[in-house]
Amino acid sequence: MSIQSITTTRHRDGQKLETRRRIIEAAIRVFSRDGILASTTAEVAKEAGLSHGSVFAHFGTQEFLVSAAIEDFGGALARRLHMLVASGAGTRSVLEAHLRAIGEREDFYARLVVEAPLLPAQAQDSLVAIQSSICFHLSPAVAAETRARKIRPMPLYLLFNTWIGLAHHYLANRALFAPGGSVVERLGEELLDHFMYLISKED
Amino acid sequence: MRLCISCGMPMEKPEDFPLGDASKDYCVHCARPDGSLQSYEERAAGMADFIVTTQGLDREAALSTAKAMMSRLPAWKGRS
Repeated sequence: MSIQSITTTRHRDGQKLETRRRIIEAAIRVFSRDGILASTTAEVAKEAGLSHGSVFAHFGTQEFLVSAAIEDFGGALARRLHMLVASGAGTRSVLEAHLRAIGEREDFYARLVVEAPLLPAQAQDSLVAIQSSICFHLSPAVAAETRARKIRPMPLYLLFNTWIGLAHHYLANRALFAPGGSVVERLGEELLDHFMYLISKED
Repeated sequence: MRLCISCGMPMEKPEDFPLGDASKDYCVHCARPDGSLQSYEERAAGMADFIVTTQGLDREAALSTAKAMMSRLPAWKGRS
């Protein structure tokens, strides 16, 4: 293969990746605004400023596009969380970072929470992967504070699911709790205070 | 940010790498004690254990989810 053809191939691959990124970003905007299941690939194509055929050339089916968008979103959220959590952070700091990372993309995350049980299995796997990235930081923090008798001893999955249950309930019903606004911004601190009160050991 | 090819975890500090060896492209959690990469089955079981402990999923559901997550990572792409 000549140097010129290698350069051309690399250029094409770069363009392909760029178009794929453009479609995923457009999909996340459309899904955030209109709902994941209620959106069509035609709307995503319009939002991306591309032809409908171009979206199909990259993703084949609506299901594959939804899964790719959620996986991309989950990866970005996990990396953001990793950046926000300082080494050796305590339980409250990890959960604060969790809320902050969600708050930066609350529109899409809330859609995901509401629609996850109806989405393809691959999309639900991505949600478990997102939760796993939080647990990766939460697990050592809770273990250390339980040993130090600051947190009540309890199975980690119950502690985590209680937190997720609380946060997701508010996010799923954000139109009632924070109409037109952000649940994280409006109620995040209160939810965090309440949860820490529930799990903290009394002196 | 470098990501583990086996589980996707970000790797930044020396202790994130097996035996502190930053030339490895997989993380300390995916390595055996001698620093080599765990087998597919070992990694899937380890990931499922983590999901069960932290999120309380049914063991079989956790294993299936772990394998689905792994199939998208460079070290295990296409495996199921």
